[in-house]
Amino acid sequence: MDKALLAFLIIPLFAAVLIPFAARYRPRMADILANVTLLAGLANLAWLALSPSMIASEFANLPGDGLSLLLVGAIYLVGLCVTFFSAWFLDENLPNRPAYYSLLLVSVAAMTGVVTSTDFFTLYVFVEVLAVTSFALITTDESFAGVEGALKYFFLTFPASALIIVGLAILMLTLGSLSYENLRIFMSSDIPAGPVTFGAALIMLGFIIKSGVVPFHAWTPDAYQGAYAPVSAHLAGIVTKISGVYALIKMATLLRFFDGRAQALSEMLMFLGLLSIAVGAIAALRQKDFKRMLAFSSISQVGYIVLAAGLGTPLALIGAVFHLFNHATFKTVLFLNSASVERSAGTTDMDKLGGLEHSMPWTSWTSVVALLSTAGVPPLSGFWSKLLIILALWESGLRTYAVLALLFSIVTLAYFMVMQRKVFFGKKTAAAESSPEVSAPLLAPAIVMCGLIVALGLLFPYFYTYLKVVAERIII
Amino acid sequence: MSSFAMEWYLIALLMFIGFYCMLVSRSIVRQLVGLEIVSKAAMLALISAGYWSNNLVFAQALLITMIVIEVVVVAAGLALLVKNFRLHGSADIWKLDSLKG
Amino acid sequence: MNDPRLVLFALTALFSIWAVMARSLLTSAIMLALVSVTVSLIFFDYGAPWAGVFELSVCAGLITVLFIGAVSLIRSEEEKHPESRARFYALPLAAAIFAIAGWFYLPPFFAEMAGWARPGTGGGTIGLALWDMRRQDLLGQVLMLAAGVFVIKSVFPRRTEK
Repeated sequence: MDKALLAFLIIPLFAAVLIPFAARYRPRMADILANVTLLAGLANLAWLALSPSMIASEFANLPGDGLSLLLVGAIYLVGLCVTFFSAWFLDENLPNRPAYYSLLLVSVAAMTGVVTSTDFFTLYVFVEVLAVTSFALITTDESFAGVEGALKYFFLTFPASALIIVGLAILMLTLGSLSYENLRIFMSSDIPAGPVTFGAALIMLGFIIKSGVVPFHAWTPDAYQGAYAPVSAHLAGIVTKISGVYALIKMATLLRFFDGRAQALSEMLMFLGLLSIAVGAIAALRQKDFKRMLAFSSISQVGYIVLAAGLGTPLALIGAVFHLFNHATFKTVLFLNSASVERSAGTTDMDKLGGLEHSMPWTSWTSVVALLSTAGVPPLSGFWSKLLIILALWESGLRTYAVLALLFSIVTLAYFMVMQRKVFFGKKTAAAESSPEVSAPLLAPAIVMCGLIVALGLLFPYFYTYLKVVAERIII
Repeated sequence: MSSFAMEWYLIALLMFIGFYCMLVSRSIVRQLVGLEIVSKAAMLALISAGYWSNNLVFAQALLITMIVIEVVVVAAGLALLVKNFRLHGSADIWKLDSLKG
Repeated sequence: MNDPRLVLFALTALFSIWAVMARSLLTSAIMLALVSVTVSLIFFDYGAPWAGVFELSVCAGLITVLFIGAVSLIRSEEEKHPESRARFYALPLAAAIFAIAGWFYLPPFFAEMAGWARPGTGGGTIGLALWDMRRQDLLGQVLMLAAGVFVIKSVFPRRTEK
């Protein structure tokens, strides 16, 4: 494990254990403690990555491989947005309030564990912790839909874990160890890779199920739609990305897809990626519910990341990592806004909503920024990551893939325009008449994230130097 | 026929039984039973791989962690089951169909 | 087939079929405990006593208790709407078809896989292995137990009288 980042795992764990005691008599203490912990962590991370000397030396002395630092940053950012939002969103007399914050912090700690692991079994352990916390978070508000989503998640994610374990067993048999480093060394040697890739394929299949890529996406929309509103932002923004997609990116680098040692696996991953871009986008066009549409859009965006990971060239990996980060920013904004709409108008059914831009201008415009970034409109950050992915595809001679990826990016714009027109623009409906703008603290996370989207888009050259360092370090 | 191959053949059979149970059953409890069987098969695969590749101690260390994980997972699953039962009054997974699209 | 370990494996498969087919959920839970017991005997036979002890006490003991507790909570309702048994009675048939069809392909495949094995160094004791090589997993275990406690607290909150 990255020793430098260990504190980011342990401190949230301590805070999580502390919260039930601190909040016994004053429930608000739970909010304060969770927010302070995550804010302090984020400030520390920003100092680690963005101190002047670090920028001056073009990120040459980053701790670890740089990827884990970036992802820990994303985790803390989304975690902070969600806890800050929850502090004002939660029902005053929700009985399990301290447990809710403890679970959020444990899930942040587990995600940090996932991205700093150096060994497949450790990865598996933390992914399981993450899954267990997710069920309880989904059912926070005790709604029917929440329990249903949680159960569907449960019964798809644990068979996937069993597949991962069998894959680990085969890897242990044929590799003699489970550490990333040994796999990397093995793959760069000349020993026939067949047996090891068979084990790796099983592990990958497990993580494909966990990340909700298309043939296995049955649980994703239900879990996102049924989840308690801020939790769906947490889940869609970061949890499923870290528990599934991160492992896929990691394996793409370790199996050295770029030098064609695991050709079949790489092609399968790319095909599934494209399939989920297509199916997610087309299904999103026909959705009636705001949150469910966002869930399908999330499947489609994960498709881009998986497609790029499957390609595995350095440029594609930069694109994949950047898109993962961007996905965390824009999906968090959109899901938090859907939570605001739910709070204000009382429904997320798009047929009942309409004309909310007059009464909720801030929510409306932050949504516009986020959806333009998702669709890849310059100069927002989403544009750059999609550009990198499509360029990488074109460069590797996969013209069809590149053109299709570009085409579905336009479909993305189309379904978001439909959504924006139905929910925010157009004529006011009965539900919109009585829905005031939510309070400023509820808007703050969305506005901060939008600022980040614009800033990352405009300051892309700096960010690109960072990503290049990351790509150089993870592909040796 | 080596002993290893026979062991893994039976592990595959065990896994088939578990997945079959998860596929055909409507009751959440029985799905959990299927899940338990699948995860037992996975554990056996791990220890068998450790034994035959001379990594037994390593495999044993992993198994202890896996057992701890499994107990928490089963507890979480049963907690969900009881909660679902309190809200819906049934433990039938196909009655959960409020979310569609 | 004279290897005692293979007999234990076959017994595990038998008990698991029984656990799936049992009409009452209580029998199912008890058969699951027997599956755990045979699995732990297999662990002992492999020479992994620590894993065996854990399996016996935690899986055969604790999980069975949890199962029986949950089943007894919901049993009355479950018995009012029994699910169709036909698909469960088909299990031995399906398992037999799988076993016979798999017989021709799986053992040769696994025998080939055994040929790929790259023996590790082995050695060491379990305590050292856990502490030296798997320290992160211990951290993961702590996190998992904390998560378990909070999950139970969150799913079954202590309601204040209001």
